[in-house]
Amino acid sequence: MNVQIQAEKSANAGMDVAEEFVIETRNVDVFYGDNHAIKGVSLNIPKHQVTALIGPSGCGKSTYLRCLNRMNDTIEGCRVEGEILLDGLDIYASGVDEVLLRARVGMVFQKPNPFPKSIYDNVAYGPRIHGLAANKDELDDIVLTSLERAGLLKEVQDRLHSMGTGLSGGQQQRLCIARALAVRPEIILMDEPCSALDPIATAKVEELIDELKENYTIIIVTHSMQQAARVSQKTAFFHLGDVVESGPTEKVFTSPEDERTQGYITGRFG
Amino acid sequence: MSSGHIVKSFDEELEGVRNTIVEMGGLAESQLEAAVRSLSERNTELALKTIEADKAVDELEHKVDNMAIRLLALRSPVADDLRLVISALKIASLLERVADYATNISKRVIALNLAPSIAPISSIPRMGEMVRRMIDDTLTAYSTGDADLALDVWTRDQEVDQLYNSMFRELLTFMMEDPRSITSCTHLIFMAKNIERIGDHMTNIAEIIIYQVSGEMPKDPRPKGDKTSMTMIEPKDS
Repeated sequence: MNVQIQAEKSANAGMDVAEEFVIETRNVDVFYGDNHAIKGVSLNIPKHQVTALIGPSGCGKSTYLRCLNRMNDTIEGCRVEGEILLDGLDIYASGVDEVLLRARVGMVFQKPNPFPKSIYDNVAYGPRIHGLAANKDELDDIVLTSLERAGLLKEVQDRLHSMGTGLSGGQQQRLCIARALAVRPEIILMDEPCSALDPIATAKVEELIDELKENYTIIIVTHSMQQAARVSQKTAFFHLGDVVESGPTEKVFTSPEDERTQGYITGRFG
Repeated sequence: MSSGHIVKSFDEELEGVRNTIVEMGGLAESQLEAAVRSLSERNTELALKTIEADKAVDELEHKVDNMAIRLLALRSPVADDLRLVISALKIASLLERVADYATNISKRVIALNLAPSIAPISSIPRMGEMVRRMIDDTLTAYSTGDADLALDVWTRDQEVDQLYNSMFRELLTFMMEDPRSITSCTHLIFMAKNIERIGDHMTNIAEIIIYQVSGEMPKDPRPKGDKTSMTMIEPKDS
């Protein structure tokens, strides 16, 4: 087209200038045995924003997410290559304590997985093993603050010692978020956090994600395009182990640059 | 991506919106053509038919509105699908205005036909044909997704404006020379203005098409050539 076009890149350009990246990944490759699951992905995660990873099943988005707190280390035959920098430091360097790393980079899973313990003990578990509280009062404070931040305190404050597994699905998921918050993470990874929840519980979790981004960096894997559009500021589209396109969510959902992105988000893929 | 949606009925609904816009545009184009022809032929019957035909365009606008609302509510379109639906809403509203202008021209033809012909009408059919071709090309650009053709229409509006300027001056002079022609000339000026506005609307639609196709608006300021709002003609002997 020979028209001079006003690229509405102001939002994009603004982000580039102001953006501070908390995670930088460079040429990340992941292999499961012979299977090359992620192929040279370079992606930066902006601080205190929500980044959504979208893409068809098997595209590598969950694999990529699990690289960010070395959850892939627990999978036999999984090999990660390339650089993953958290605040400028390589998390795969020798001498990195994975337990401490996972406290800084917390994770919330698809299915709520509270421990078969009381609500209080679920949240207190992390601070106890990491020695974050000097006494009972401090621990109480961490538990209550975490439940409050996860938007759950009001609903459970008079039954803190009931079993966490007795809560509804949506409450259990927010309990898991409270549990992640209790160890004072910088980053929260969420792998399909709402896929097992009803629309009301989903809305509560999405509202929570929106509030949490003030203090935390959130990376969410979701199959719901609408959810990605609703909650994230940045979206990365994965396809066949590669990042096809990443950019401001608004841009990706109104005028994506790559035809494959457009095909996927509009439901033409496959 | 050229392939269709996985959900085929989604494609059918989008196609339905596209076809209705093209149908609306086709009607608006033939209404303009008929209105201008009724002027050159002094054909009151054709002018009345043209006025009557406006209803069909209004109904199609409602149809596009309803289809777009349904698509937004039920399909949650994004990316090019979203741009198509939003563009259709805007284009339908502009095409409805185009048909209204054709109706207004027809009403004035009926009024003019009540008196003997004394004013020069020659420029109106020329302007009408110029703008009719703009409508035609706009619809082709819309149905084929041709942003270059849309841009061509976008830049062409200036020629219409220039023709309108000269016609405006010509009619003012004519009125000064023969005050008996003031009623007719005033109608002709309004007709020319209506056609000029249709040209402006095609410029708007061309911009929308460029946005729909590329996701971005044209950067250059819109070409504007209508200077009649600042035109003064002094009587020769003053």
